[in-house]
Amino acid sequence: MRKTCLLLVLLATSLSAAQTPAQPNWTAVEEETLRHFQAMVRMDTTDPPGTPPGGEKPVADYLKQVLEKEGIPVEIFALEPNRPNVVARLKGNGKKKPLLILGHTDTVNVDAKKWTYPPFSAERNGGFIYGRGTVDDKDNLVGMLMTMLTLKRQNVPLDRDVIFLAEAGEEGATRIGIQFMVNQHYDKIDAEYCYAEGGNVTRVGGKVKYASVQTVEKIPRAIKITAKGTAGHGSVPLEDNAVAHLGEAVGAIAQWTPPTRLNETTATYFKRLAQVSTPEEAARYRDALSPDAAVAGPAQQYLRKNEPRHWSMLRTSLSPTIIQGGYRSNVIPSEATANIDVRQVPDEDPAKFLELVRQAVNDPQITVEYANPNSANRPPTPTAKLDSEAFKALESMLTKHYSAITLPTMSTGATDMSYLRQKGMQCYGIGPALDIEDGPKGFGAHSDQERIVESELYRFVRFAYEAVVEVARAR
Amino acid sequence: MGSGTNGRILMQFLRTGGLLLLAATTLGAQTPATSLEDEVMRHYQAVLRVDSTDPPGNESGVVNYLKEILEREGIPVQIFTLEPNRPNLVARLKGTGSKRPLLLMAHTDTVNVDLAKWTFPPFSATRDGGYVYGRGAVDNKHDVAVGLMTMLRLKRENVRLDRDVIFLAEAGEEGTTRVGILHMVNDQFPVIEAEYCIAEGGGVSRVGGTVKYASVATTEKIPRAIELTARGPAGHGSVPIENNALTHLTQAVSAAATWVPPVSLNETTAAYFKRLATISTPEEAERYRAVLSPDPKVSGPADAFFRKQEPSHASMIRSSISPTMVQAGYRVNVIPSEVKATLDVRTLPDQDPAAFLESVKKVINDPAVEVAWAARDTRPNAAPARLDSEVFRAIEANVTKHYQAVTLPTLLTGATDMAYLRAKGMQCYGIGPALDREDQSKGFGAHSDQERILETEFQRYARFYFDIVQDIARARQ
Repeated sequence: MRKTCLLLVLLATSLSAAQTPAQPNWTAVEEETLRHFQAMVRMDTTDPPGTPPGGEKPVADYLKQVLEKEGIPVEIFALEPNRPNVVARLKGNGKKKPLLILGHTDTVNVDAKKWTYPPFSAERNGGFIYGRGTVDDKDNLVGMLMTMLTLKRQNVPLDRDVIFLAEAGEEGATRIGIQFMVNQHYDKIDAEYCYAEGGNVTRVGGKVKYASVQTVEKIPRAIKITAKGTAGHGSVPLEDNAVAHLGEAVGAIAQWTPPTRLNETTATYFKRLAQVSTPEEAARYRDALSPDAAVAGPAQQYLRKNEPRHWSMLRTSLSPTIIQGGYRSNVIPSEATANIDVRQVPDEDPAKFLELVRQAVNDPQITVEYANPNSANRPPTPTAKLDSEAFKALESMLTKHYSAITLPTMSTGATDMSYLRQKGMQCYGIGPALDIEDGPKGFGAHSDQERIVESELYRFVRFAYEAVVEVARAR
Repeated sequence: MGSGTNGRILMQFLRTGGLLLLAATTLGAQTPATSLEDEVMRHYQAVLRVDSTDPPGNESGVVNYLKEILEREGIPVQIFTLEPNRPNLVARLKGTGSKRPLLLMAHTDTVNVDLAKWTFPPFSATRDGGYVYGRGAVDNKHDVAVGLMTMLRLKRENVRLDRDVIFLAEAGEEGTTRVGILHMVNDQFPVIEAEYCIAEGGGVSRVGGTVKYASVATTEKIPRAIELTARGPAGHGSVPIENNALTHLTQAVSAAATWVPPVSLNETTAAYFKRLATISTPEEAERYRAVLSPDPKVSGPADAFFRKQEPSHASMIRSSISPTMVQAGYRVNVIPSEVKATLDVRTLPDQDPAAFLESVKKVINDPAVEVAWAARDTRPNAAPARLDSEVFRAIEANVTKHYQAVTLPTLLTGATDMAYLRAKGMQCYGIGPALDREDQSKGFGAHSDQERILETEFQRYARFYFDIVQDIARARQ
C-alpha cells in the first residue's frame, strides 16, 4: 500500500513536473527585478513630456535592449518618435488564443520641490522604494518584463502566445499609445485575455486583507465650473466677486453626496469584502448597500472619511483639482474657473448627473458644464467575465501567494483596458499589495511621495509570473 | 438753446468776465481768460500726446515738455532721476517765507493701453463732442496741465506769495513708486518738503449732468494682501478625499469673502456720511445717518444695503477683503497637495494688522489652511489730514464758489502717493475735476479704454485749482 502510494505520488510529481515548469531562482529574479525597476523609475517619462525631447523612449529603449539580449524579438510602434510602444511576443503552440500582458511606460508629472526623495531617484528607504511611477505603473511594467524573461529562461511550453505590450501615453495621451495600437496595429496585440494595471492587494496594518481584480471601471469625465462677476478694484469688495462665488461653488460640490448607484460588480465586491472583514466592518459594508438612507447614511459617511475609494465605488464621484482666477492682487477678475475630476459609474446618465451638480451649486453666477468632450472619450465597456480561465488563474494564484479572497472590482480610475474590452478582449486589472493607509497619508499613486513596499514588489512579480504560467502554459 | 457751442462761449465769457473783473481789481495785470483756456488746453493736449505708459515707464517726454515751458517762463526747474527715462521734475516759486511751502503734485505716467480697444487713439488727445479723449485724461495729466498752468499764472501775474509753491511732476505712480515718490521722499525730501500738499485723489461727482458733491481725500486705507495656503495629501482625482487641499482652500476663500468685518468710523468717514446725508434723498439720508449709529440694529441694515448697492461706501467703513487670485492644481486628475489664494486686504488707517489677521484666522477656522500676510507694495500708515486746516477751508470755499456743492472729506479705499507724504507729516488733500458718475460704468473712466474728460469741466477745474493755490499761498498783506 505504502509503496504504491509513494509510487503514485512520485508519478504525479513527475507528471506535473513535465507540465509545470521548474521553479526559477527567485533570489536572482528579485535582484534583477530591483535592477530593472530602479533603472526604469530613474528615467523621467512624465506625460506630458518634460525636459525636451521628453517621452517614453528611454524606457522603451531599455526594454528593447533587455528583451533582445534574452533572445526575445521586439517590435517598436511609434506614432511620435519619442513616444514608442514596445511589443514582444513569446510564441505558443497556438492551441489557444494569446494572452496580452500590459504595462505603461509613462507617468504623471511631478512637482519636484515637494518630494522628500527626488522623484526619479528610486530611493530605497525603510523597506520602501520611492519615486514617480513606483505604483503607477512601473511596478506592472517590471512585473511583466520579468514574466517574459523568466518564461523564456525557464523555457516554459505555451498553449498560447504571451504578448507583452509596454505602451506609451496612458496618462492622458492615449492617442499615441493604446489608441494608436488598437486602431493601427491591433493584429500585434490581439488576444483573448489581458492582464494590466487596475487591481491590487490591500494591506491593512501591514496585513493582507483581500485582493482586487478589476473587471469594470468608471468613466473619467471633467466638469468645468465658471463663475462670472463684476470686475473691479480689490479695494472695493463686491458681493458678486467671481473668485468668492467660485469658492462657494467648489465647496458646495465637495460637500455634496451624489446618489448611490450600485452594479453587479460592486454589489459582489462589498458582499465578499464583508466576509473577510471584522463584524463591525462587515456591518458597515452591508449597511452601505442598504436602500434605506437612514441605514446607509452613517456607514457611507464613515467610508467617505476613512475609506474614500470605497465611497467612490458607490457613486459617480467629484474631486476638485484645478482652480484658476485673477491675475493681479488688486484686481477682482470678472471670471474664475475650476475643474472637477468626475468619475462616472458606467450606468449613470451624464446629462442628468450634470443637472444634479447644478442643483448642488445653485448659484446663477455659476455655469456648470462638462469640460472638453475628450474627457468622455473612453467608451463605456462590458464587464470582464468572472468564470473565465484568466480570472480563475488569478484567483488561485492570489490564494497561493497572498492567502487572500479575490474581489471583483470596479476601479474608480480609468485604465487603457477600456479600449481593449471594447474590442472584445477579456481584461483583468491586477497589481501589487499596497497599504490602505498610504493613500490618505499622501504616499499613493500620483502623490508627491509615491512609493511601493519593496518586498511586495517581489511578491507581485512572482504572482504575476505564476498567473501567466497558469493561463498560458501547455497542458 | 440754439447752438450749444455759442451758448457755451457765452457762458464762459460771462463767468470768466466776472473773474477778470474781480482779478483786475485785486491783483493787477491779467491774461484774458479765453487765451488762458486755450493755453491750458494746449499744454494738456501736448502732454496727453506723449506716451508715458507704465510699464514700461518713460516719463522723459512729458518732463522735457514741462521743463521747456517752465524755463521759458523763467521758473527754475530741477530734475531728479533714479533710473534712466524716469525723471521727476521739481519747480519752485519762492514766497516771503512767512509760511511753510505748499506742494502741488501730479504724476506724469499713465497705466498702459490696449490699442485695439480705443475709438480715438489713446495718445491723440482728440476733442470730440465736448470731451477730450486719451490715456491719462483723468489720471493724471489733467493735474499735470493744471498744475503747470497754475505755476505759469502765479509767475506771470506776479502773485506775491507767503509760502513757496512747489510743483512736483512725479514718475512711476502707477506701480513703480520706487523711481517716483519713494525716490523723492527718501533721497530728495528737502526739495519737496512742505506743510501742505494737493494731489489727485478727490473729485466732483456729477449725476445726470448736475454736480452732486465734491470729495476731498484726507486719508486712505492701507493696501495689504493675505495669502491663504491649504495643504493636504496629494492624490488621484478618482478618489475624493475629505482633506482635499483645494476644497479647504475654496472653503476658506468663501468664508473670508462672506465674512463681514466690523464697522469702524473715524473723523473723516463720520463727517463724510453726515454731509452726504444733507444732500441726499430722504431715503438715502436715513441710511447715511443710520450707518453712523453705534447700535448695530440701526447700522446693520444700512451697512447690508451698502454691501450690495454701494460697495465703495461699505469699504469706507471697515477693513475689507476681496479675494482676487486663486491659482491651484496642475492636472485634472491630480489632487494637488498645496494650493494658494490671495486676498486683497484694505485696512483702515487705525486698524492693527495683527489683530485683523487673527480675526481672519478665526473666520477661516481651518487648521489645514495657513493664513499669513503676503509681500506687497504697501503704503505707510499715516494720520489723516486735518479738516480744520487752511487748505481744507480753501478747498471747501472754492468748491462752493466754483461748483456750488458741499465738500465731503473722504477716506479713499485705494492707495495714493499721498500716503508717503502724510507719513512725513505733510497735510495732504486729494482733489479732482468733475466727472460724470455714469462715465465709469459706461467705460469712460480712469484706466478705461475710452478715458475722457468734459472740456468745460477741465477748464472749471483749472480755475478752481488756481484759486485754491492762490488762496492758500498768496501774501495776505
